[in-house]
Amino acid sequence: MHAKDTKRPAVLIVEDEPLLRMDAVDMIQDAGFKTYDAPSADAAIEIIGSHDDIGVLFTDIDMPGSMDGLKLAEYVRAGWPSVKILIASGVIGVGDEEMPEGSKFYAKPYATSLIIDDLHTLIAQDETNSSL
Amino acid sequence: MTGLAALADTTTGLGTNILSAVAVVAPRGRDDAVARQLLAKDGIATVSAPTLTTLSNLIAQHVGAVLITEEALNSAGAQELAHVLTSQAAWSDVPFIVLANGTSRDRSERATQKIDTLSNAVLLSRPLHAEELIRAVRSALAARVRQHEARKQLEELQRRERQLFESEAKFQAIANSVDQMIWSTLPDGYHDYYNNRWYEFTGVPHGSTDGESWNGVFHPDDQARAWELWSHSLTTGEIYEIEYRLRHHSGDYRWVLGRAQPVLDRSGTILRWYGSCTDIHEIKVAQEQRQLMLGEMNHRVKNTLAMVNVMVSQTLRLADNLPDAQTALQSRIAMMAQAHDRLIAASWAEAQMPAVVDAALAPHRTGESRFIIAGPEVEVGSKQALAVTMALHELSTNAAKYGALSNNAGKVRIHWGVTDDTFTFTWEETGGPPVDAPKRRGFGSRMIEQALASYFHGNVELSFKPNGLCFTLNAPMSGLL
Repeated sequence: MHAKDTKRPAVLIVEDEPLLRMDAVDMIQDAGFKTYDAPSADAAIEIIGSHDDIGVLFTDIDMPGSMDGLKLAEYVRAGWPSVKILIASGVIGVGDEEMPEGSKFYAKPYATSLIIDDLHTLIAQDETNSSL
Repeated sequence: MTGLAALADTTTGLGTNILSAVAVVAPRGRDDAVARQLLAKDGIATVSAPTLTTLSNLIAQHVGAVLITEEALNSAGAQELAHVLTSQAAWSDVPFIVLANGTSRDRSERATQKIDTLSNAVLLSRPLHAEELIRAVRSALAARVRQHEARKQLEELQRRERQLFESEAKFQAIANSVDQMIWSTLPDGYHDYYNNRWYEFTGVPHGSTDGESWNGVFHPDDQARAWELWSHSLTTGEIYEIEYRLRHHSGDYRWVLGRAQPVLDRSGTILRWYGSCTDIHEIKVAQEQRQLMLGEMNHRVKNTLAMVNVMVSQTLRLADNLPDAQTALQSRIAMMAQAHDRLIAASWAEAQMPAVVDAALAPHRTGESRFIIAGPEVEVGSKQALAVTMALHELSTNAAKYGALSNNAGKVRIHWGVTDDTFTFTWEETGGPPVDAPKRRGFGSRMIEQALASYFHGNVELSFKPNGLCFTLNAPMSGLL
């Protein structure tokens, strides 16, 4: 496990509220992941386009700019199909059909441990798949 | 004048109904006695009228018929009789049987005129022939009965007409006094009645919304929906109920509750539709506002909880021990609660700069004038105000522990201003104990360096100079709101 840590995929955090973004970055870094962060979907697309180590997108839904989190998730699913998608929002009642297949939803505020556990599970699945 | 007592004396038998009795006017000779005897034999009640005045009185009381001798027509009181006859009710035409003198051939013109004034008269020639007399009287009484029947029907019709008029007047009064618009249609939905309120509300000319033209007064976005629902009710007979916007005479559209229900006949066939429109605009707008406020409220509560979540996780993440963490958390949460109070007082959308600073520092003042504050009035958005409050809380807490507020001599100078579209905010500590840069960045430092800068779309410099901590924020004016 330890040897693979350096190859661990990075997590791109997209959140327009600065304090929440800072906290999400801390939480995911504390769990041992490299992170990138962006305050909007537009900024996120620039980052994902220029870094090939991003394996997970962790995004808010309600954000200013040309796209909200759901549109960003769709866009990333289409352009980077291997990137796992986690969506967090204070808006409840987001239907499954609105989210890209295989993505996960978290109601805000969320428990740190829940996100971290899911991140580990996703990465483990990926490692199992690629070793087969 | 013939009183009732006199009448009783001269009638055959007691309890005679004057309406079916025959008045006999034969002042001279034996005619009176003979005629009354003949009629009594046949069961016909009679009343003797010695003068035309008595007769007039009986006619006024609707006597059944009159048997009169031709010569009696020339006696006193003829004018009075003529008057009574012409002033009879519309239904009444008392029948006369005149016992004539001789044949029509030798009757004078004057005598003929006399008979003509009776209007409804037959002539019988004398001497009296019993069967002729009885037949004539019977036929006259029968005709009189028909007159009474006609009278009853006429009066009933008049009563109904009066009722209808009163009922219509009552309906109009009610329909036009209520605050609602009221309308009615034929079974096929053709509008043929609106009360005054409809015309007052819409301002359209009377009759202009008859038929199907009502739809045009609806908001274009509601027309199709209303039409569909109305058509459904017309085909099924189900109650029609809908909220839509109706064009007010002011040109504005107002929300209205429309309702209608059919009135059915015994077989269940729709006879008419009766409907109403109630102005519910104020209620509707209040509802929308309440919905909007609830949504906004929910958003803010969620946001606040997310912030508290950040505070908790950040505080615990860097805490040395639990009691410290508890103190830090409680003061941070208290700071947020106060920030919310002020934002509510300032209508939430934005706050004024000196007020935000004064309020944020209030819990940290000691009454020793340790803060020197200077800066103009500047409006900031609610998020920026909250961020400044948090930053000042963290800076004050830090200063009280390690900085200028930890001894008796230190001062904190806080000043801000706007130059060339750039907002600058500075916190400068002097006179405190010598400053060592912390070994690790705490929540306060990171909050200020990362989050505060981001809220203002600006940059932040936080330097731990040996003579005192200094913090400067530079932000474009566009980042303040």
